[in-house]
Amino acid sequence: MKGKRGQFGKYIRNNVRPQETENISSCSDLFTNHTLLAFLLPLLTQPSTSPKYFQSWKPISLLIAGMELNAIQDKFERVAKKQKVSSSKSHEWMEQVGREIEQALASIIQWDDNDSSISIDQKITELKAKLQTIDSQSNLDRPQRELNIDFAKYQKLLEKILHPDLSKTYRNADFDPHIINQIITQHFYREGLFDVADCLVKEATETEAISLRVQFQEIHQIIDALKSKRNLGPALDWASANREKLKDSGSDIELKLHKLQFVDILQNRNRAEALKYIKTHLAPFASSHMKEIQKLMGSLLWFGKLDKSPYADMADPIHWENLSEELMKTYCNLSGQPFTDPLSVTVAAGVEGLPTLLKLASVMTGKKQDFQAMKQLPVPIELGKSFQFHSVFVCPVSRDQSSEENPPMLLPCGHVLCKQSINKLSKCNTRNFKCPYCPLDASVAQCKQLHF
Amino acid sequence: MDAQLPTATATATATPIAAPPPSNLAKLAESLKLEHQFLRVPFEHYKKTIRYNHRTIEKEVSAVISGVPAAASDISREEAVRQLTSLVSRLQGLKRKLEEGSQTEQLQAQRCRTRLEHLESAEVDNLPKWNSIRLKRILVDYMLRMSYYDTAVKLAESSNIQDLVDIDVFLEAKKVIEALEQKEVAPALAWCADNKSRLKKTKSKFEFQLRLQEFIELVRTENSMQAISYARKYLAPWGATHMKELQRVMATLAFRSNTECSTYKVLFEERQWDYLVDQFKQEFYKLYGMTLEPLLHIYLQAGLCALKTPYCYKNACTNEDPLSQEGFRKLAMPLPFSKQHHSKLVCYISKELMDCDNPPLVLPNGYVYSTRALQEMAKQNNGKISCPRTGLVCEYKDVVKAFIS
Repeated sequence: MKGKRGQFGKYIRNNVRPQETENISSCSDLFTNHTLLAFLLPLLTQPSTSPKYFQSWKPISLLIAGMELNAIQDKFERVAKKQKVSSSKSHEWMEQVGREIEQALASIIQWDDNDSSISIDQKITELKAKLQTIDSQSNLDRPQRELNIDFAKYQKLLEKILHPDLSKTYRNADFDPHIINQIITQHFYREGLFDVADCLVKEATETEAISLRVQFQEIHQIIDALKSKRNLGPALDWASANREKLKDSGSDIELKLHKLQFVDILQNRNRAEALKYIKTHLAPFASSHMKEIQKLMGSLLWFGKLDKSPYADMADPIHWENLSEELMKTYCNLSGQPFTDPLSVTVAAGVEGLPTLLKLASVMTGKKQDFQAMKQLPVPIELGKSFQFHSVFVCPVSRDQSSEENPPMLLPCGHVLCKQSINKLSKCNTRNFKCPYCPLDASVAQCKQLHF
Repeated sequence: MDAQLPTATATATATPIAAPPPSNLAKLAESLKLEHQFLRVPFEHYKKTIRYNHRTIEKEVSAVISGVPAAASDISREEAVRQLTSLVSRLQGLKRKLEEGSQTEQLQAQRCRTRLEHLESAEVDNLPKWNSIRLKRILVDYMLRMSYYDTAVKLAESSNIQDLVDIDVFLEAKKVIEALEQKEVAPALAWCADNKSRLKKTKSKFEFQLRLQEFIELVRTENSMQAISYARKYLAPWGATHMKELQRVMATLAFRSNTECSTYKVLFEERQWDYLVDQFKQEFYKLYGMTLEPLLHIYLQAGLCALKTPYCYKNACTNEDPLSQEGFRKLAMPLPFSKQHHSKLVCYISKELMDCDNPPLVLPNGYVYSTRALQEMAKQNNGKISCPRTGLVCEYKDVVKAFIS
């Protein structure tokens, strides 16, 4: 199959123009392309091979994960059931022994001194014999053995479905606990978990991270007031105190806060107050945001029935939610902090990357040393869009990442290769060459360096 | 050829395989497979309680049975009543104990179920919340392993995830660790005795190490006679498997604690106790099926590997990249760079990915931005574009599309 796949790629390179490769983003697009279809037809019509070809595309969806979870659940319930059987058996055993002893005790207490038919000694011997039969018939070992088997089965199932050892690709790089504790403390500040952070600072005796506490406490108080008490006061105070900085960064958060305050007054108090508010606080924005202020003035007409007016969306509570998020973003921006929590981002990237690394480890068994020493991972880890912070250009010919010495170059046809590949194709700038993706001729002089 | 086309198209649309899997689902399914410890630890705990309860009942009832006075002992009536009554009350005591025990069993079984349900509850829709709980679980695991118990409890309480973390399991370890830090081995030895069969199975020599340390302490106090009798009793049984270490430790009798001979000097160092604590932690993790490293370290390392590129260390690195932060950079230092097989281009202006939906456009000066960002700019400036990095101004129609494969 692999061979065919290789041909497939070559076929696309040779027969599809760049515009078309651009368009082929999904499999279904391929089928609308006639020339491609001609190639794919034999694949589709050979039942023995075609399903296999697509097997890697089969969704390993949650459905399957769910089924596996169900299997685990079933196995667990089996263990729980067996445990009940075993425990009720041993309880029964205990009860039986207790009953016999109590009976014997009762009969000894009631025993008449004159009864010569049976002595205490005999009674006790009788009891002893009875207990011994109970003991030998109890058969406690069997349910326990069965339970043990189920324990082992459950454990095996967990190991089969889940990755039993996540540290297979762990590099023995001693992480400095101080750095980690500081990172965690900052994370707690950011989340607003100040007492947890304080507790950590105390227990781990880390005092360096504490400087950030004040900052994050300020923003959390502002947002808390806004969200839970619908009190915009602290937010407005902060915005007016930082008006210049906000202006420099191009943020109009102050206007947005005033707008929200105005709508709040309009909804919960009276028209006169709303009008007064707009005069004192929103008028200064008139020169730059005339349209929005006009809209606000318009909404005054629908006092008391804003939700049925053309301005209904202004009363949507979602604005409070959105604004608190934007406020946090702006605050982080002004104080030079990232908006997304770095710890969450890294751990989330780890969760996405770890399966690939574990797969790599299983391929590289016996080469653990290599893994400890490598400077670059041998396989790519595909992370979601939200983890892309940098432009990475990989030359489609040499598969090298571009660098300052080997920058990406734009060919006249619009394809991009790296400089070294172009040098190779042009035999060190001695002749014109054909673009490897389209038949267009190009010379080195026509190529242009790109900056991403 | 043309005649065949319609049928072929029909096949293509009819087969569900034509639609690639929603990758979010696949990723979620993969990430659930990382939760071995999450399911395993409560199960080990459950198993342990079951075994403990079973052993208790077996031992106690057997003791009661053999406690029945021997036959033909010719005891008085009063004596018989007294003995049997004590047996009955002993059984009643056992019953009470077992009631508590089976309650613990139920709670632990319930915990196992809660965890399974938690895994099941993960869906693409509630992923942000689920992920944030996962991070908290990972952090509690870290706190517990670092012995920051108060923080662990506080964090678990603040997010109401007590059933999803293993605080009670670690409290068992806490006693042993604190005692070892006070140079007391008794709780550690008791722990070894409790888990004898399991430790034997993994060929653990932790108990031996504890015994060696006790012996060393006797030598330190120059209590030679006692040391020798201790060695006879507790060290000799390990001779068959660990002769070398045994010999080395025995030699300290000749060298004493103030020796300068490096082979023996280390044995008297305070560090040995820290080493024992580490050793205990490893045994403890193994016993419960935990990873030997804190989960946080494992995830951080994998994440940093995946995120680390040469660009992270440039001045222009965006604030949002964790690797722009000093702490993260230090952690990533010894780790490998990530590898890319395909170009991934991020627009300098909008920070959006430049792909087929938003293809990259090249300005006359070679700077590349995304189509959407440039269109937006052109709309606001009457078709003019100014390069934010060089200040070059040009017309939107002068830009050309680049094909990145």
